[in-house]
Amino acid sequence: MHSAATRLRRGALMSQISLKSITKAFGDTPVLNDVSLDIEDGEFVTLVGPSGCGKSTLLRILAGLEAADAGQVAIQGRDVTAIRPADRNLAMVFQSYALYPHLSVAQNMMTPLRMRDLDRAGRLPLIGPLIARAAHRKMRDQVAEVAETLQITPLLDRKPGQLSGGQRQRVALGRAMVRAPVAFLMDEPLSNLDAALRVHMRAELSELHRRLQATFVYVTHDQAEALTMSDRMAVMMHGDILQVGPPNDIYLNPASLDVARFIGSPQINTLPGELNGAGGLDLLGVTSDTRYVGTRQAVTVGLRPEHLNLAQQGRLSGIVRHSENLGADVFLRLEVGGAPAPVVLRAAPADARGRGERVAFDFDPNDALFFDANGARVMVPNAAREVA
Amino acid sequence: MPQSRAYIWFVGPALLLMFVILLIPILIAGGLSLTDYSLGNSGASFVGLENYERIFTRSTYEKMFGATFRYVFVVVPLTVGLGLGAALLIHSLGRFGDLYKTIYFLPVMAALIAMAIVWEFAFHPTIGIVNATLERGCGTVLERWGWYAQGCARTFPLWLNDRDYAIWTVSFIGVWQGFGFNMVLYLAGLTSIPPSLYDAAEMDGAKRGWDRFRLVTWPLLGPTTVFVVTISFIRSFQVFDMVEAFYPQGGGPSKSVYVMMFAIYEKGIQQNLMGIGAAITVVFLCFVMILTLIQRWFVERRTHYV
Repeated sequence: MHSAATRLRRGALMSQISLKSITKAFGDTPVLNDVSLDIEDGEFVTLVGPSGCGKSTLLRILAGLEAADAGQVAIQGRDVTAIRPADRNLAMVFQSYALYPHLSVAQNMMTPLRMRDLDRAGRLPLIGPLIARAAHRKMRDQVAEVAETLQITPLLDRKPGQLSGGQRQRVALGRAMVRAPVAFLMDEPLSNLDAALRVHMRAELSELHRRLQATFVYVTHDQAEALTMSDRMAVMMHGDILQVGPPNDIYLNPASLDVARFIGSPQINTLPGELNGAGGLDLLGVTSDTRYVGTRQAVTVGLRPEHLNLAQQGRLSGIVRHSENLGADVFLRLEVGGAPAPVVLRAAPADARGRGERVAFDFDPNDALFFDANGARVMVPNAAREVA
Repeated sequence: MPQSRAYIWFVGPALLLMFVILLIPILIAGGLSLTDYSLGNSGASFVGLENYERIFTRSTYEKMFGATFRYVFVVVPLTVGLGLGAALLIHSLGRFGDLYKTIYFLPVMAALIAMAIVWEFAFHPTIGIVNATLERGCGTVLERWGWYAQGCARTFPLWLNDRDYAIWTVSFIGVWQGFGFNMVLYLAGLTSIPPSLYDAAEMDGAKRGWDRFRLVTWPLLGPTTVFVVTISFIRSFQVFDMVEAFYPQGGGPSKSVYVMMFAIYEKGIQQNLMGIGAAITVVFLCFVMILTLIQRWFVERRTHYV
């Protein structure tokens, strides 16, 4: 286990991946528009976005399984744009796991070693293990070691068809881990698992990343996976990277309305308001103080459910239309006069009210995010929440 | 009535048909093979295993087995191999795949009787296109090949009417006619291989086409191959119409193309020796049965993945 970690660490020491101006179209449909991204050694980077945003294509271009129309891929300072996937020294975990159904778990995990470390004679069935005895023993040891790490040793003799979804997922991880690749690429590896297992595997993948200290590039459409696991996440939409940064930064400080809406569950509340240019915010007929000074403009005000709080003396009020009890928190869906859509508010279960009741609530204007008509962020100087 | 008898109505018709059109005729054939019955005779006498004894001792039937097995063991490997090769090539094509698919599948759809006439012309010793083409090559480097020089000096083979060539020529036509069918089966098998497995193979370092074929294509075509091989065996054992078209009288030069199906037809129908015809049929059914059992074994053991 230790040697696996050190081996991977040594292999990954100067790993740095850089994608420069990647452009890709499938026929007339543009998929990636001039996308650039740099990934540091040992980082866990998540590409997150709704389906069809080009995140998987970007990963496949990085892997080499897809060719970019324009742009450059560099790994450890070496331009690999024209180099085939097998020579890029990356490992990939596929959404469907892509295990070889006719091979046992051990053989599946051994395949990358067989293909790379054995010559043609050593790969021959039956007599191969006799010719290259030392190499085969080393391979078996490596597989056993990784299987031990992933706790799949009892499964080594089974075929993928006899495994559950979670077990297959581990085997796919194991197949990626037996080598010391520059980086692990993961294409929605958890999306075929049930909800409980997905949450469990999230923690396990983070733990694995800490232990291997290797570079992970992880693609997901699930913002919760991106927020929980990554060192940095890149939010993608319509073939562009909208924002790159640590999860907390992106959650609290989204650069645009699209990012704010995509990250966070339940979704951020967006309400029409106005910055009056003299330090005031007009929202739903209530004026609050902000530090914004500048031209008067209509804005979309973003307020996360946890930034709205129930208060007897609250300046705003609404009627509870629906309440969602998650145990620790209750999300109230309120119908508020003047708001185009229901407003979602997070409350403690003790404070929650039933359906049809009118409740008063308030917010701190420093928590509010402002977006202009084009969806771009309107920055308010010295806001208490500012992190960057 | 406490227990519903509805199941009889669900199972009954299929069961009845299976007995009437499959099992009972087979049992009758089995019974007839133990007699010297011939059509029109009021009675028949029981002869025991005499018919079978004849099949396994007389030289006519030795020739029958010889011709049948030669045909089968040439046609099956070649139709399977060419079918797989053609399917792999067509599968790798983008644009003209459908065109080639149609071309190779045409012989399967064509009426073999009509095709037999065309081949008969093509292989005609004097006016046929095959020997005419071969004669053009006389006087060139091809003559260094002993067989070719001999052909130029005397005549090229009579193909369909030469004792040494007839069965191989018929096998060649069988391959030409049959591999398109296997190609279509293999194409269906190839489309069902998940593309992500090829991606995984590439990531795992399978750089050469042969490595990917060994790692992904061939194993995942396993179930298809078992089916294709079995069906090719059965189809080859069944070859009849071509032989009947080429040699309506008695199975080719010195009975070298006297295949089983033709033997059944000649004995049972032409010579009205129902007993011996039925006995050959039973032997034929045994071959098919053995093949089917081997197929079942493969399906359950080796190629059953998921």
